[in-house]
Parts: sequence; C-alpha cells; structure tokens
Amino acid sequence: MTHIDPLLHRVLDGESPSDDLTPSQREQFAALQRAVRLLAEAPAASVAARVMAEVRRPPRSLGQRVALWLTERHAVTISVRPVWSLALAAALAAIAVIPARGPGPVLGEQEGIAQFVGRFPGAKSVEVVGSFTDWRPGAVVLRDDDQDGIWRASVVLPVGEHEYMFVVDGERWVTDPLAGRYLDDGFGRQNALLFVRPLAR
Amino acid sequence: MIAWRVVTCLLAAAPRLSAQGSFARLAGRIPPPALTAIDSILVAAHREGLPTEPLIEKAFEGGAKGVAPDRIVLAVSMSASQLRSARALLREAGESQPTDPAEVTAVAAALGRGLSPELVGELTAVLPGEPTGPALHAVADLVGHRFAEDSSVDLIVAAAQAGLRGLRFLDVAAAAVQDLQRGRSHAAALAHVRSLLPNVPPPPKPAPAAVSRARRVQPGPERP
Repeated sequence: MTHIDPLLHRVLDGESPSDDLTPSQREQFAALQRAVRLLAEAPAASVAARVMAEVRRPPRSLGQRVALWLTERHAVTISVRPVWSLALAAALAAIAVIPARGPGPVLGEQEGIAQFVGRFPGAKSVEVVGSFTDWRPGAVVLRDDDQDGIWRASVVLPVGEHEYMFVVDGERWVTDPLAGRYLDDGFGRQNALLFVRPLAR
Repeated sequence: MIAWRVVTCLLAAAPRLSAQGSFARLAGRIPPPALTAIDSILVAAHREGLPTEPLIEKAFEGGAKGVAPDRIVLAVSMSASQLRSARALLREAGESQPTDPAEVTAVAAALGRGLSPELVGELTAVLPGEPTGPALHAVADLVGHRFAEDSSVDLIVAAAQAGLRGLRFLDVAAAAVQDLQRGRSHAAALAHVRSLLPNVPPPPKPAPAAVSRARRVQPGPERP
C-alpha cells in the first residue's frame, strides 16, 4: 500500500487548504485529483461500451424480432363504450347456452335412409348397384376411410322395397351377407332385399 | 336352351312396344340379341295388364351383371310368369280388380322368396284392399329363420288383428328374430312377441349426422 503524507491526506479530506502544500506535494495532489476524476467518469465509459457492443451486434432475424415483440411488455389501451361491452357479453353467453343446431337435413315424406356395410379387405372399390339405381353402376359408392376393410355408405332412397348387390373392384358381384332377406335373381345368384322406411318425424 | 328357343319363337311374333319407349330404354343396356325377345315379352305383359317395370328392371339387371342374352330373356320371361301367378292369386283371394302394380309386384316377390301360394292367399284375405307386401315379407323373414310357416302366418295375422299395418309387420318379424338370437326357442320367441302386440319395438331412428351423410349421396337413375 502506498504511503500518503498526513498533510496531503488532510488537504484531500478538505481539512487544510492546498496552500500549505509543498510544490512536490502539490504535484502529488494534482495526480490524485486526476485519478479521482477518472474513477468518477468510469460508469460513463461503461455505458458507451455497452452501446457500442449493441451497435456492433449483427441484426436480429424476423423471427427473433417477433419473438421479442411477443415476450416484451406492451401497453394496450382499448376504448369501448359500455353498451358494446354488454352486447358482446350477451352474444358470448348466447353462443355458450344455445346448442349449435341448424335446421337439419330435410327428407321427403316418401324418403328414408339405407345404410350399407360390407367387409371387403383389400378391395380397391366397392359400390352398391340395385333397383334404386336402375341397376346402373357408379351411383352409390361405399367408402373405407380408416382402411380397416369395412366399407360403408348411407344413402337416401325412396320408401319401399329394393333389391341390390355389392360390386367389388368394378367386376365382382357379391350378395350382402348381412342383409337377412334374399331373392333369387334368376341368373344363378341372390339379390339382397331391403325395405326403406320413411324417416319418423 | 330349348326353353329359351320356344320363348323366343313364341314372343318374336308379338308387336314391339316401341310406342311406350321401352325399346329405347332397353337399347344400350342389354345385349342387342336379347332386345327383340324382351321387347316382345313386355308387349305381351302390357296387353295382359301386368306391370312391366319389374320386367324392364330384370332386363337391366341382367345387362349390368353381364349375363348371356338367352339367360336374360329367360329370366324376364320367368318374372312375367311370376307376375301372372301373383295376379291370379290376388283374384282368387277376392281382389276383384287387382290392378295395383305394386301389389302384384309384392306378391310376386313373396312367391319368389319361397312362400307357398296358399299362404299368400291366406294373408291376402286377412288384409283385403290393403298393401300386403310388408306382411308377406314379414312371414318370409320368419320362415327364413326356420319358424314354422303356419305359426309365422298366425303371428302376422295376430299383429293385423291388433291393429298393426304396413311396415310395422316387419318390426314384428324383427322382434321374433331378435328373441331367437338372444337364445329363446322358436316357440318362446313367437309367444313373447305375441304378448307384446301391438307394442313391438320400432326400428332405431338414424342419427342426424347419418341423415346429413346420406343426403350427400343421391342415386339418380337416369331414365331416358
């Protein structure tokens, strides 16, 4: 540790006037004062360094800027009239309370729904051809959305009795094994028989 | 083959039904060699007052299934015979004017499902002037599940006497078949369903979502 003359110490503490110092002590006093000023200016130099470091940093990407904007605090002011606030609250309550029900599909009095289900693993296409299509292929195509080999279709048909068969891969005629009612087709095979009921209202 | 030749020769002489547009409807849907013979069957059926639509459908069916022309002609001819028998049966059962084509067609279908003419006549007599198709098919459903023919007719007659009509007869048969599947004997199932009459369970209603899906598919048979 450097020894400081007691007189110089008192002058630095403001207890004695600087006129009492010898020329060499005055030089020491001036040096010490410069050191104090430098110490006092140190924080200003540190801020400048930080600013320069920020300036030299490469620009942020768009994603970083968006992330920064989203995570930073922002002051948002919304000015709404009370009547609109009440209307919005009423609308939200109505959505929550009233069940989402539209007018629903409308069926004619002489229409009903037929559901066809068949198990055809590995089939590329399955359709239903019958009296309700004038035995014309391509009108009612079954689907196997989950590819489990179970093909399904629901279709609106006229009320009454209908005969039908499945057509697999466009060429193989197959009797519906789940129909329960069958009729000889006159060609050596059996048509499935279906009764479509009017949809109860 | 001989039968087909006889049918073809007999019917080839009949005038064509082109006036009704059947010939045009058939053209392109069935093999050309069968066209004339089928047209002749249709003309004969039309003259007799039989419904021709089931015959046209049978021809379409044969064409769609790729059946040989002679077999299509034979099948259409047999369908005409069945319609003829059905109409005769309805007349015997007391229907003075069995002109309803749907009724003749329904009875022909019941005969096609193997019901005896006597049984059909009995049921028709129970429901005079009413559609008998569902009742006939209800009995055919029961017989198809090995219920005795006379017991099946008795159940449907009891259902009619209890006030059930139309497609509700099919619910009666379905209830008996369900009882059978649950382990009841044939006799027990019939007795149980008879005790429920007329309150047999109706078929389940389709869910609204099923109705929506069904609406997206509309088979529209093209009729030229």
